[in-house]
Amino acid sequence: MLSGRTTQRHGPDGHSRRTVLRAGALVALVGTGTALAGCDLLDGRPAPDPTPDPLAPLLTGALDLADRYAAAAAAAPELAGRLDPIAEAHRAHAAELARVTGTTPSGRPGGSPTGPVTGTAAQLLADLRAAEQQGRDEAVRACTEAPAERAALLGSIAAARATHLEALR
Amino acid sequence: MSEELAAALRAEYAAIWAYGPIGVRLRGAAVDAARQAEAAHRSRRDALVLHLAATGATVPTGQAGYALPFPVTDQASALRLAVEVEERTGAYWRAALPVTTGAERSRALAALTDCAVRATRWRRAAGTTPLTVAFPGRPG
Repeated sequence: MLSGRTTQRHGPDGHSRRTVLRAGALVALVGTGTALAGCDLLDGRPAPDPTPDPLAPLLTGALDLADRYAAAAAAAPELAGRLDPIAEAHRAHAAELARVTGTTPSGRPGGSPTGPVTGTAAQLLADLRAAEQQGRDEAVRACTEAPAERAALLGSIAAARATHLEALR
Repeated sequence: MSEELAAALRAEYAAIWAYGPIGVRLRGAAVDAARQAEAAHRSRRDALVLHLAATGATVPTGQAGYALPFPVTDQASALRLAVEVEERTGAYWRAALPVTTGAERSRALAALTDCAVRATRWRRAAGTTPLTVAFPGRPG
């Protein structure tokens, strides 16, 4: 009903698009309590994209980190034993973040943002440490700002990223 | 709120106690690491006692002794217990996250993180792999 898709089955003309937008603004003005009424206003059309979930960047970041570890493990197979479990953890985090935000992590456009990587094992580890540190800071911030029902998951993710830094030492 | 923090305090008492039998079975660098871990738990304990007292909550006291989950007879079992102590204590701090906000939540997160990082170090000392778990502190 309120899926985030902006289909325009009822014609792409500008007027109806504006109507949709105005109705969406109305829904936003009167708050989430009237989500059902919003659907009625739109005559069954899906509402415009809701505000992205504040955890969306963390979800993308988790997938990005998983890709970085996978790419580094491919470039330096001697590190795979250390890096593969961490890549798996990032993917597990992404799956949980997708669950609580009601999004689908698969089908992300662009695939791996990093592509193949090269360098010595030491250089690869240093790069991973930098990315992991940044991801850890983001998770700490997200946990601190999160509503109660998300705090425990985000705390585990932040703590896990700290342990990844330890495992990379 | 104070219920979860009181539970975290009871976990810290148990952790401090456990590093006694752990410490006597360790050798080399692990002895120092155990001493530092115990000191960290003492400092969390002291901060919690002060905090709970300041909020007017009942401050639980520690027990004279605790049942070990398995006999600690050598370095290997001592390291295994150290991992378990950190994992269990971290779980109590994780449970405090939803009932805290602001600086108090930051402290609970720092405590969970410290436990998780120490568990990782003890796994490394024990030669356990993988060194990490995906969701530190999560039950089950």
